[in-house]
Amino acid sequence: METINQAIAPKAIAPKDSKIFYSLLQADFAVQWRNRRALLASMLVPVVLLVAWRMLVKVYGGPFVFSTCITIGLVSVGLMGFANTTARDREKGIFQRLRITPASTRQIMVSRILVQLAQMLAMVLAVFILGFYLYHVNLGLLGYLLGAAAALIGGAVYLGLGQAVVGLISSADTVNSVSRFVYIILIVAGTVGELGVLGSAGKKIVLWSPYGTVKMLLLSGMTHVWNSTDTWALLATIGYLLVFVWIGIKWFHWNAD
Amino acid sequence: MTILEVQGLNIFYGAQQAVNDVSFEINQGEIFGLLGPNGAGKTSTLSAIEGLLRPQSGKISIAGHDINEKPAYARANMGVQLQSTSFQSELTIYEIIRLFAGLYGVDIDKRKVLAMTQDIGLDESINKRFKELSGGQQQRVSLLIATIHNPELVLLDEPTTGLDPQSRRQLWDRMDVLRDSGKSILLTTHSMEEAEAVCARIAIMDHGKILTLNTPEKLIEAHKDDPRVKEVSRSGRVTLEDVFIGLTGRKIRA
Repeated sequence: METINQAIAPKAIAPKDSKIFYSLLQADFAVQWRNRRALLASMLVPVVLLVAWRMLVKVYGGPFVFSTCITIGLVSVGLMGFANTTARDREKGIFQRLRITPASTRQIMVSRILVQLAQMLAMVLAVFILGFYLYHVNLGLLGYLLGAAAALIGGAVYLGLGQAVVGLISSADTVNSVSRFVYIILIVAGTVGELGVLGSAGKKIVLWSPYGTVKMLLLSGMTHVWNSTDTWALLATIGYLLVFVWIGIKWFHWNAD
Repeated sequence: MTILEVQGLNIFYGAQQAVNDVSFEINQGEIFGLLGPNGAGKTSTLSAIEGLLRPQSGKISIAGHDINEKPAYARANMGVQLQSTSFQSELTIYEIIRLFAGLYGVDIDKRKVLAMTQDIGLDESINKRFKELSGGQQQRVSLLIATIHNPELVLLDEPTTGLDPQSRRQLWDRMDVLRDSGKSILLTTHSMEEAEAVCARIAIMDHGKILTLNTPEKLIEAHKDDPRVKEVSRSGRVTLEDVFIGLTGRKIRA
């Protein structure tokens, strides 16, 4: 992005990209902190599931349960959090107010995405800590790091999905309804389908859905066991990310009119 | 010195032309009024000046910087007060001021914010949320933010809508102070009284075109014998509102 120096624009104070970005980030974190009830609510589901699934930890192991809880949490933040706040702020004209400043649209969006990724990392950390204290599951440093990295990639997919929803739908109320609907479909079909309840074809579809590929990545990261299926899961995840982001950027309008 | 230059601006929405070959200039230290009924093309013109909308043709430069070629330079020389002011409702006045100061590269601390808000009588409200302020207080904060970086050009989009007479007069006084300090203002308003009170020159727009442009006195003088204007005059003495209604018609616009 262009920067301004006083020789070219003597009557304007020069905003540096770093200062603009820091200001946006500071404000976005402040907004997130004020909305901490919503933040806690999005973390509540994975934490409650982790506490409730004691038996599953014994049967399927810690990493399997952790990856399910984290995937659900990531979908929750990306769809319920990001999509809804973006739609609401667009409807209130907050983006338009920011766009008439020297801040670029890229800076405005990246700042918001970073705040969401931080929230996702906080949720992942909560699951890891709780899992350790409740079930004495220790993934080791590499497992925790790869798990967190996989969560960030998975989180980006669901943020992309949220962006696609606000790209295709302009009304904040409709975005809210659609994101809830997609959330429920992904979570219910994902958790039920991977256990084979929907049949083998259903299980395959779930496995290669945005839910399944992210969960696979998380599981591989935490166990740090990698095979060719995981490579395909990573490629599919990147594919989903690119498609969602493309839809979300191509059809996104900065105002709701 | 020309601060805002709009040349041959054309804006289309599909096949419909919203702005048709609009050209005007605003000089340093001038308050310029852009008047027109709803749908006249004012908002489209303003959006193009703000850089929110890319015109099909035409040139807009702010303090010498083309808004489409060098948007960051142009925006750094421009402050905007939108018709409906929208700030994040979760942020306090202090946080909003700090955010916008940062976006314009202005170094600011709590002491400076206190001094700024004291100047507009809101130093005791800096920890309040924007929505907790009255309409007049919100407008004062909006104007403070629009001018926080000491811009050459300030765009005020119907700033006094919904304000009581005291708040309106206070805003006019602030506009006078800005003008006296050499700043230029582009004002859109539906109030002819306001346009007459504060604007050095006025352009009346309709159907995407500028119908007439001059000082309020010269506009009245130039159109006082126009039969359309005489027909709508209620008091016998032609006013700016008579000129406006005469040129743009009585029909209510959506």
